[in-house]
Amino acid sequence: MKMKKLMSGLLVATMILSMVFVGCGKEEKVEQGGKTFHIMAWNEEFKGFFEKYYAEKHDDGEYYVGDAKVVWTIVPNEGSAYQDALDAALLKNKDASAEDKVDMFLAEADYIAKYTQSDLTMDVKSIGVTDFANAYQYTIDAASDTNGVVKGVSFQCCPAGVVYRRSIALDVLGTDDPDEVQEKLNSWDKFNAVAAEAKAKGYYMIGSDSEAYRVFSNNTTSPWVDKDGNLQIDASIQAWMDQAELYAQNEYTLVGDIWGEAKSQQMLDTGKTMCFFGPAWYYNFCMPNAMDTCSGDWGLIEGPQAYFWGGTWMLAATYTDNEAEVAGVMNAFLNNEEICENLVSKDLQFVNNKKVNEKFASDPNYGNAFLGGQNDTALFVELAKNIKFENHTQYDQACNEGIQQYFREYLMGTVTKEQALENFRKYIKEKFPNVNVDK
Amino acid sequence: MKSTTTKEAKAKSISYAKWGYIFILPFFLVYAVFTFYPQILTIYYSFFKYFRDGLTWIGPEFIGFDNYKALLTPTAEGTIDILKYFGNTVIMWVMGAVPQFVIALALAVFFTSTRLNIKGQSIMKTVIYMPNLIMASAFSMLFFTLFSTVGPINSLFVSMGIIDKAFDFFFCTISMRTLVALLNFLMWFGNTTILLMAGIQSIDESLFESARLDGASGLRVFFNITMPLLKPIFIYTFITSMIGGLQMFDVPNILSNRTGQPNRTSETMVMYLNNYLGVSKNFGMAGAISVVLFILTAVLSVIVFKTIDRDKD
Repeated sequence: MKMKKLMSGLLVATMILSMVFVGCGKEEKVEQGGKTFHIMAWNEEFKGFFEKYYAEKHDDGEYYVGDAKVVWTIVPNEGSAYQDALDAALLKNKDASAEDKVDMFLAEADYIAKYTQSDLTMDVKSIGVTDFANAYQYTIDAASDTNGVVKGVSFQCCPAGVVYRRSIALDVLGTDDPDEVQEKLNSWDKFNAVAAEAKAKGYYMIGSDSEAYRVFSNNTTSPWVDKDGNLQIDASIQAWMDQAELYAQNEYTLVGDIWGEAKSQQMLDTGKTMCFFGPAWYYNFCMPNAMDTCSGDWGLIEGPQAYFWGGTWMLAATYTDNEAEVAGVMNAFLNNEEICENLVSKDLQFVNNKKVNEKFASDPNYGNAFLGGQNDTALFVELAKNIKFENHTQYDQACNEGIQQYFREYLMGTVTKEQALENFRKYIKEKFPNVNVDK
Repeated sequence: MKSTTTKEAKAKSISYAKWGYIFILPFFLVYAVFTFYPQILTIYYSFFKYFRDGLTWIGPEFIGFDNYKALLTPTAEGTIDILKYFGNTVIMWVMGAVPQFVIALALAVFFTSTRLNIKGQSIMKTVIYMPNLIMASAFSMLFFTLFSTVGPINSLFVSMGIIDKAFDFFFCTISMRTLVALLNFLMWFGNTTILLMAGIQSIDESLFESARLDGASGLRVFFNITMPLLKPIFIYTFITSMIGGLQMFDVPNILSNRTGQPNRTSETMVMYLNNYLGVSKNFGMAGAISVVLFILTAVLSVIVFKTIDRDKD
């Protein structure tokens, strides 16, 4: 009797164990058709477009993609807070419940490399995003891993230029026509000379000491961290530091954070600043003060040096239970012409679809009211041709944020230049233990 | 007869002690799981190389005291950074704690005085406690906005002619530290007042009465009766405030935009620790900083305790 019990006990135990091991050994395929479509992002920008043009609003007031309810987790970018939250979620995505599983997330140029190089993102071609004929090459390069596997899709293309205040340009340069303004600002020497003239008339040339930072940081010839893990300050970053110093000392600019309140007030009609640097999303998303008080008094030019700034990539998280839905969103924002056209005409975006952009660029009736009727898409189409995505690392966000913040202390006169850079190096060392910061 | 006495004796010897242990068990369980175990882990990992590079974990790999060596090695300028940040923390805490205790003591004495018998006490107590109810981060954001170069304080000072150009409070060591201290003071003096009041109220009222009948002045009563009898509570509030102060984080982190500006003079110990816990989740170094902070806090607490409590009979 006892023996029998023991035997049956053993049998049950082996059965359970074998089942467990079989479960472990099998190549897992996540069951599709999840009821929750979970998206992680760092701000509300894409969420707005997604709800306006893609998701359906049901009677319960929630947005749906197919049968799946859309749930957002939004964590601000600053101080790498978004990356912290995203990393934690992705690392446990495999075992997360169907509701908590991240299906899709957004990433920026500054740190997309970290995710494309990881197994925690999926080859978008494998889930059904295959048509990149109209996408800009740099948006594909940025989202590709070292083997050329494309892991993400950007819904924007971000060639950038100088957004100038027409009334101030008229006062300083005697013209507000984009072609003539460009002629007077098409090199840094000319730009600096005009800055002095603007100062003489009581204006600031730019809105922050790091206003033009991206022009320099996206035109570097070496990455922030080299192959051997050494931190290096590129000549182009040095050039930015020189410019920031020149502008701060001569009061060609306010000294302050690029996202700060002081700068943002300069975009009001009472502002005294002539030039801001940014791509299409910049005036759409970061210049509400200008849109509200002096819309139409702005113009767009290429400026002294071509550059790009940003992009918002959608990436598919491995272990998503909504592969088809993720692919659907990606395809829609890349190739659905109706959505892309709406993004350009209603939301002033420059989309990642050459065909749509070129249609607006060549349309004589199309103009951007915020820019006084100027056809900004036509200019961006030209600028987009030259964008190259080079020298980017997973450390870029902390480096870009850190150098601006710590260098500003030097501009404020609280530390020497050496100390400012030393503090920056310390900060990077604390953030990334495997980066060598010694000179 | 005999049997009954043994029974009685047995009944009398029933021990209720086990109930005592059972009642305190939940606390010790929670403490063991959520405090003690993590503390031991922190110390354990401080001897390891253990962080994340991108999305890949590196370690844990035993490296002995290397993390501590890295922390305590002087930099090129000859300073030991962790001690500098500890100094920053202590300075900012003292700047806030001195007014905090002076004012809290004064308020506690006024509010409990039967002679003054202040009206509307409950409203005042609520009001002084209020700032503590607001999240430190929200409170810091408020001050960040108030004192920014385009904020109302600067406009006020400029329009009053005190300064001729907007002053950046967050780029000057003195004003930055003062603001941090001010915020901590505002947030915590109410709390301290309430604790000290409870302490004073537990002192026998007849002592105050007899002192007054003997003609003792208010100050005399305060120094010879209130303070000596309040001492245990005072030491408690002082040491808890110190421990809280040494763990100062949210206020300076927000006011300095995470950089500890200017020149890292508002960088506190926990801000320093937090840098290591960012993207790279460097548990090794963060553990080592925690242990150093723990030791420094323990040493300071003992010093404070011995100093205040030295004339104990």
